[in-house]
Amino acid sequence: MSLYADSIYPVREDVAAIHALQFEKLGLPGTWGTAAQRVAIVNEAREAGYQAGVMEKPSDPGAAPDVKLSEVAHRVVHRLAVSPKDMDQAFYDKAIEDGLSDVEYVEIVGLIARFTCFDVLARGIGVPLRPLPQPQGGSPSRERPSTAVVEKAWVPTIPNVPDGGEIAKELFGPWKPYIMRGISLVPDEFRAHNELEEVQYMPSAHFMEFDYQYHDGLTRPQVEIVASRVSAINECFY
Amino acid sequence: MLGQEVDLRAVVDPQIDIKFPGGSELLAFSDAVLGSNLDELDRARTALENSLGPAAVSSASIIAATFTKNDRVANGTGIPAEPRMMEGAENIRELLGLKNFRSAVNTYRHL
Repeated sequence: MSLYADSIYPVREDVAAIHALQFEKLGLPGTWGTAAQRVAIVNEAREAGYQAGVMEKPSDPGAAPDVKLSEVAHRVVHRLAVSPKDMDQAFYDKAIEDGLSDVEYVEIVGLIARFTCFDVLARGIGVPLRPLPQPQGGSPSRERPSTAVVEKAWVPTIPNVPDGGEIAKELFGPWKPYIMRGISLVPDEFRAHNELEEVQYMPSAHFMEFDYQYHDGLTRPQVEIVASRVSAINECFY
Repeated sequence: MLGQEVDLRAVVDPQIDIKFPGGSELLAFSDAVLGSNLDELDRARTALENSLGPAAVSSASIIAATFTKNDRVANGTGIPAEPRMMEGAENIRELLGLKNFRSAVNTYRHL
């Protein structure tokens, strides 16, 4: 059954399927966070949304692990969840100074970005936020890509080939823009972000075909109207 | 794009008519889905459905969700815009006041 079976608006099967898979995987250990920590992070982001009035708490929010986030993690989660336009390098540097590692920070960015995405979709089609999964046991993989360096972002990123090496070839193919490589310090977050992009926005092979019809009910220009307005609200220069 | 005149200023100023089919409904929906007024969201959703059909509600929600994600990746990691994105669009950036965004410095500090 579709993750969005309760919606009166049709949600493409591939979108529902990738969302269902990523909700399920939230309940597994990540690269730097345990499953309980990861679910707690997404829960905290939702709490920030409820407090800001931009999300509504569902009757079944799912798991709410008894994990206390550090003050710095709490701070990062809240700002990223509800005020992404106020992120700046000073905020990032202070988070690192206060004890969050760069890899933990990037994993948090990846999680908040994806789960805020799922929650906005739910809100848009008028269904409750989907319940969060019960966290499973196990340890994070703690795999840091050896070729990641500080390029032009605040955080280290894996460069495109050849400097990025074999992992760049595997993840990016011939080239990926910064909007994808921004969270490559945690390759699993890159993979999840990339999967969503290919399904939700459009297959990257067609990106420059401005008359390519991918979204039911919307032409490409209409798609870009929504994209532009959302990014203007979030004051995203990129 | 595709020979239709639009007023891009509407993307940053909701008072302006974007002059594109379904555009005003899409802009209102985008604002409402990120906003804090549920009644406004319900009205915007209905208006969008009446204008462009139920599939448009789903698709607009997916796009709003996608750029909700992407904006957090971009603003959260401090990535710069790609050089080719900066070529030939200075007039649009000026028109829309994009340089005033806090995130603009992530690009301009490298130029």
